[in-house]
Amino acid sequence: MAGCTLTGALSVACFIPGAVAVVHAPEGCVHQTFSMLHAMMNDCDVSQIPEIIVSGIGDREVIFGGEDCLTAALDRAAALNPDLIFVVTSCVPETIGDDCGAVCSRHPYADKIIYVPTSGFLGGSAKDGENAVLTALASCVPLSQATPGTVALIGEKNLESEADQNYAEVERLLARLGLRVTVRFCRGCDAATLMHLGTAECFILRDDRCRPAADAIGERFGRPVVPEFPRGLSGCINFLNAVGHSCGIPEEKIAAAVQDELLYQDQMLEKFSGLTKKTICLGAEPFAGTSAVAREAMARLLMQENDSALPIKLPFYLPVGAAGVEKMLYLWRRAVNNG
Amino acid sequence: MRQIALYGKGGIGKSTTSANLSAAFAENGLDVMQIGCDPKHDSTRMLMHGRWIPTVLEQMYERKDLEMDDVIFTGFGGVRCVEAGGPEPGIGCAGRGIIATFQLLEKMKALNGDVVVYDVLGDVVCGGFAMPMRDGYAQEVYLVTSGELMSLYAANNICKAIARLSERSTARCRLGGVICNSKNMDNERELVAEFSRLIGSKMVQFVPRDKAVQAAEVNQMTVIEHAPASPQADVYRGLAKTILANDDLRIPTALDLDELEKLARAYL
Repeated sequence: MAGCTLTGALSVACFIPGAVAVVHAPEGCVHQTFSMLHAMMNDCDVSQIPEIIVSGIGDREVIFGGEDCLTAALDRAAALNPDLIFVVTSCVPETIGDDCGAVCSRHPYADKIIYVPTSGFLGGSAKDGENAVLTALASCVPLSQATPGTVALIGEKNLESEADQNYAEVERLLARLGLRVTVRFCRGCDAATLMHLGTAECFILRDDRCRPAADAIGERFGRPVVPEFPRGLSGCINFLNAVGHSCGIPEEKIAAAVQDELLYQDQMLEKFSGLTKKTICLGAEPFAGTSAVAREAMARLLMQENDSALPIKLPFYLPVGAAGVEKMLYLWRRAVNNG
Repeated sequence: MRQIALYGKGGIGKSTTSANLSAAFAENGLDVMQIGCDPKHDSTRMLMHGRWIPTVLEQMYERKDLEMDDVIFTGFGGVRCVEAGGPEPGIGCAGRGIIATFQLLEKMKALNGDVVVYDVLGDVVCGGFAMPMRDGYAQEVYLVTSGELMSLYAANNICKAIARLSERSTARCRLGGVICNSKNMDNERELVAEFSRLIGSKMVQFVPRDKAVQAAEVNQMTVIEHAPASPQADVYRGLAKTILANDDLRIPTALDLDELEKLARAYL
């Protein structure tokens, strides 16, 4: 996702049921940002219209400061009686010196306001915006005792294609260890659910892009962070080991889960026996790590690679777990069989 | 119409010089407008006999249907006085305020007369304060400085702004010269004259430190009005005459910091 911090921050904050996003910015900033999100929503078949209130900084606010118009926007947001209000900022209030944190803290609704000092382009990229919201939200979650057998996912995107398929794969693997996901931080979780983040025994990061937020969360709650969703076949095994050890699962149970998974993978690969010993040419890698996952699957099927052979497209996103590999192999089989 | 802007370090005496210059122009029968471009809004106070006139930005904040009489006030000698004003310290953008002020005056077709004197904030701290130069309002810039290093430093920075902005096709600003507003330092006249030469310009007036200035200000007047027969009044008249006759406008060459410090040391 491209854009400034506003884009990233809104892509998280906008899609929390019961929350309202207040953007302290000129109207144009939000229009431009939401245009991008809207295009992504269409791609992902998301039809929910987020509740966004823009303070509407204009000439007058640029000259005299925009704190009053932020207060007015917070009043409008509070009138909707939301569970949470996220306040994100463009580069304009940062430039003109608005003390947005102070405005939020003295508002009557302060207890439910989460101020995210994103600062538009001055705050960095869209990725920084995502991290800023996750970190700010986590800082509001109460510290709790860990509930045995539970994990939380960090950094799944609201507007990510295949997110639910990937989630199902992660759930499948976690079930082998007897673990369940209690919080998806933040995908489709309402405010009340998000507040249980601190009960997870360990946090599982979607991928490295939200690493700053995940590190802050792990540190705040004193729990381990598993660095990414499983990458392909061996990734599943590594994932089971990493999560199992992070959650204190007995070694014999982890070993049994690994054995079951290896058997499952063999059965899955058996469905693609027609590809065995076939020679293909892998195309360009669109997502870092995709080639490695593909080559591992090829090795398991004894497939060969040759530059002059049939070119095969790699998946646009990194295949998550055995399910991601299976989906990739379906496409390869179609290409090999049909040319 | 001549459009003259005075730039220099804060507290160097730009407003005093501007007000007396405007008064001297007015004495010559010229139609003069002075615009204070500083949130302190004290540029025209002596011309207005101590009155703090409402600023353009204050008025714009309150209402939209402003007319000339709301923002332009007539002071000594018929000088039309405007204060742009600005936000509270630490918040908002005074530079944007200056731009909004100029846009309003343009819209009102108020930027007219024989001479417009722009009294600009102490240093070119952002693009907004360079706006009078950038958008062709300040066609002649005069640097007000003393012999103190930091005053020369600010003046030198403004030279950088002039040089940069003069490259633009829309900007017509040039340096008209340097005004030395004396702090009674040893060798000050020579130092400022040499500084002026090194940046490729000239010192157009040496304004001595004189009690007549403080006396006039205590009485809330310009020197020209309060002590018209004083030598100091004649200094300002001389400055006005020099500026009116000046057609030697140049693009300055700023010194680097080492050169500036070397110069200051040489005249200690």
